[in-house]
Amino acid sequence: MNFMKKIVVSTALLAASLVYAGGFRVSLQGVKQLAMAHTSAHAEDASVAFFNPAGISFIPNKLSVAAGGFGINAEVEYQNLQTLESYKTDNPMGTPVYFAAAYKVLDNVSLGFSFATPYGSTVKWPTDWAGKEIVQEIELKALYFQPMVSFKLADWVSLGGSFIYAKGTVDWTKAVTQLGGTLNIKDDEASGKGFGLGFYFRPTDKLDVSIAYRSPVDMKADKGVATFNISPSLYPLVGLNSSGQDNFKAVLPLVDEYTIGATYKVTPKWQVSGDFNYSGWDQYYALTLDFEKAPIGNQASDPTVLITPKNWKSTKTWRVGTQYMFTDALAGRLGYYHDESPYADSDFSAESPSFEANVITGGIGYKWKGLGIDFSGAYNFQTPREVKNSFYNFNGQAKAKAYYFGLGLSYNAF
Amino acid sequence: MKKILISTVALSTLLFTVSCKRDFDTDVSSVTVTKGDADFTKYVSIGNSLTSGYRDGALYIDGQNESFPSMIAAQMKLAGGGEFKQPLMADNLGGIPAVGFTNKRVLTPTMGLGFAAGTGATTLANIYASGPYNNMGVPGAKSYHLVAPGYGNPANLPLGKANPYFVRFAKNPATSSVLSDAMEMKPSFFSLWIGNNDVLSYATNGGMNSTTVNGVTTYTPAVVQTGNLDPTTYKGNDISDPNVVGGVIKSVLDGLKSVGSTKGVIANIPNVTAIPFFNRVPYNTIALDATKAAAINSSLINPLIGALNYLGQSGRFVPVVAGNNPVIIVDNSLPNVSAGLTAVLTANGYPATQAAFLGNAFGQARQAKAGELILLTASNELGLDAITRQAPTATSQFIIGASFPLADQFSLTSKEVNNIATAVTAYNTAISGLASSYSLALVDANTKMGELNSTAGIQFDGVKYTATFVTGGSFSLDGVHPTGRGYAILANEFIKAINAKYSSTLPLVNVNKYSGVTFP
Repeated sequence: MNFMKKIVVSTALLAASLVYAGGFRVSLQGVKQLAMAHTSAHAEDASVAFFNPAGISFIPNKLSVAAGGFGINAEVEYQNLQTLESYKTDNPMGTPVYFAAAYKVLDNVSLGFSFATPYGSTVKWPTDWAGKEIVQEIELKALYFQPMVSFKLADWVSLGGSFIYAKGTVDWTKAVTQLGGTLNIKDDEASGKGFGLGFYFRPTDKLDVSIAYRSPVDMKADKGVATFNISPSLYPLVGLNSSGQDNFKAVLPLVDEYTIGATYKVTPKWQVSGDFNYSGWDQYYALTLDFEKAPIGNQASDPTVLITPKNWKSTKTWRVGTQYMFTDALAGRLGYYHDESPYADSDFSAESPSFEANVITGGIGYKWKGLGIDFSGAYNFQTPREVKNSFYNFNGQAKAKAYYFGLGLSYNAF
Repeated sequence: MKKILISTVALSTLLFTVSCKRDFDTDVSSVTVTKGDADFTKYVSIGNSLTSGYRDGALYIDGQNESFPSMIAAQMKLAGGGEFKQPLMADNLGGIPAVGFTNKRVLTPTMGLGFAAGTGATTLANIYASGPYNNMGVPGAKSYHLVAPGYGNPANLPLGKANPYFVRFAKNPATSSVLSDAMEMKPSFFSLWIGNNDVLSYATNGGMNSTTVNGVTTYTPAVVQTGNLDPTTYKGNDISDPNVVGGVIKSVLDGLKSVGSTKGVIANIPNVTAIPFFNRVPYNTIALDATKAAAINSSLINPLIGALNYLGQSGRFVPVVAGNNPVIIVDNSLPNVSAGLTAVLTANGYPATQAAFLGNAFGQARQAKAGELILLTASNELGLDAITRQAPTATSQFIIGASFPLADQFSLTSKEVNNIATAVTAYNTAISGLASSYSLALVDANTKMGELNSTAGIQFDGVKYTATFVTGGSFSLDGVHPTGRGYAILANEFIKAINAKYSSTLPLVNVNKYSGVTFP
């Protein structure tokens, strides 16, 4: 007990002293998990599959399915004290979803499948806003399809692995002020591959420990189309075809993530969970758009290559959550997590606004026989920041607010 | 157990109250724009084309609405500034047919330069009745024109002593000077940017004056005036004596002071050669292949070098090569050896008429050197057959620039470039001296335009502006005057200088919101 207390307190203190992960990762892959700060060491049903493939070995039933969806309501505001301008995004509601299934083919071998949308964001700024040359509207989306297998090495430990096939969309519209119009780059057939690996431990009935790694996935956009909405008389000068289009290639890194999490049953009714994530955003040091013909790049050696420095930094996320069973069927959940922004003020990216975030989460769950229904919600308190992007000479301040809500279902059969 | 639960919740709550700052320290909606020590109730801008909003080779309504003074005035309104009236032209063509002013330049569908179609509706009719006008920028005005009475008198137009733009809005056309009209308005705040044309017209005319008699235009070298303090004796494209420029600006400031207008902003003169008009065409723009180069060398350059050496004028030419070669220009500072050349070429067996033709043309000709400037207007000359003045044919022997000198008014020799730089430096010394003695805000337009002319250019919210013609975004189609965005870059410099001097807090303008070059 004293030991646990120390953990809880010191985790909370650590969260307070460190400043924390964002980017275009959307950590909404389990409704029940979100209610407890999106912590990972919960093997009650198939929704654990995304968090740790090894977790499916500890699902109490032979067959489990889980599905859920979220609504994201986020708004970013930019202001410039020098020009006294101020603009707000008008983002459509984001709707990440997930589906997972797990089945024990043998006592010690489980197969699983996870479908999720772990990366994505839609940011829609006013078309005439100050940062229009950077972005007016952008939609990034990645769908992860993960078949997996997990082996129970002993009663108390399992090892799981997954294969990741990712399919995605990038759809980015920005102003090209010097050409008097806009540019849209789009590829909805970007794809990439990766893998997941994890260990799941249950050394005692009271403690679950989850350690997982998800590899980076390089989303390759090989058949991108760049469409210029400019005067047709400029098409020949910009190397465009008669529809004002050119082709481009790009690679967008969906970065790797290390997670270590634990859940401890303090009493039969009360459990606490903690998680630490490390996300390898330092891979995103630059975005390279390689146009086929359009000389709108910035490289002396090849004017069709546009390299935008990103200089992102890897981030850490700390999560603490808890669940209390009011009755055998009704659970109440709370959580808190602290997320870092993956970049400094001098690299503020208006196409994926990120902030140091404090998020409180909560939810309830109801179980009836093998069927579970869960509700959760979260409010993201994001810290306003300075915008001092030196590459674009884009300056000002930004702040944001966001809330999430989710509805999840799970079914554990026989 | 409960204790732990409670303490955890309590800790979380504490954590939130400490770390959850969610709003801006200062929200723009709560910012009050202040005038500081200045008074913006009546702002009057005095100057030339740059003040008027002139661009694309014309003054027209959309351009005027993006003049830098109108941008500043809009920001001043946030701090008690009054209405800012401009003497708007009649249309967006900008032509004034009565005095032969053409419409604005436009890009043709093939990206060439043309003129906007139609007949300009602006007349010389005086519109002062709807005034007075806060924007007193008069395109073409030199420093000394500001203090010239009758500069708005239509009767003076044929004498070259009046300006059609000022004719339109002078209060008393017969007697008004720009200054006297400005003084009547008793500005609470003024901007004064003058002196550019005292050197610019020299530059844009290749250091030449011209006179047209019976449709025949003759060119003579313009004078770099020093020691002559009577501008009425200056010809159109002479460089004004720096003492004249400084003296006139001082008298304008004195005039304004005498009516109580002591607060304002003054700008210095950009080095006029840092604009696309002078940098669009490189000095070595003549591209030749090996065959052509050999042909020109044997038929022209080598005989010329021989003859010039004989005449003691070596160094004017070197043989051309495959690749880029310098333009052949006229340098009026060279001794004119036309007669000698004709004689030598005749003696070498050239037919008399051809020897005379070459001797005449090449008497002061030489190849341009790095640092010398070929003007934008030369684009229409270079490459033409010198005799037919049409596109060359297979038999064309004399191609302007490649095998025939480009006329003197289309280039600036290094000596002429130097004359310009010397004058600009002297003007700017006078201007910064006056700014400090009259305690005015000073805009270093020279440095800012220099930044624009650098490779890095000026970045604003992700848009990179350079002095490159058309694609650089900051200069309009005349290659001399800014686009709306270029003017906005300047407006911000004025605003920064005003805020620094008067402790006001006028906001900057968003450069990218204004218009650039219009594509067809």
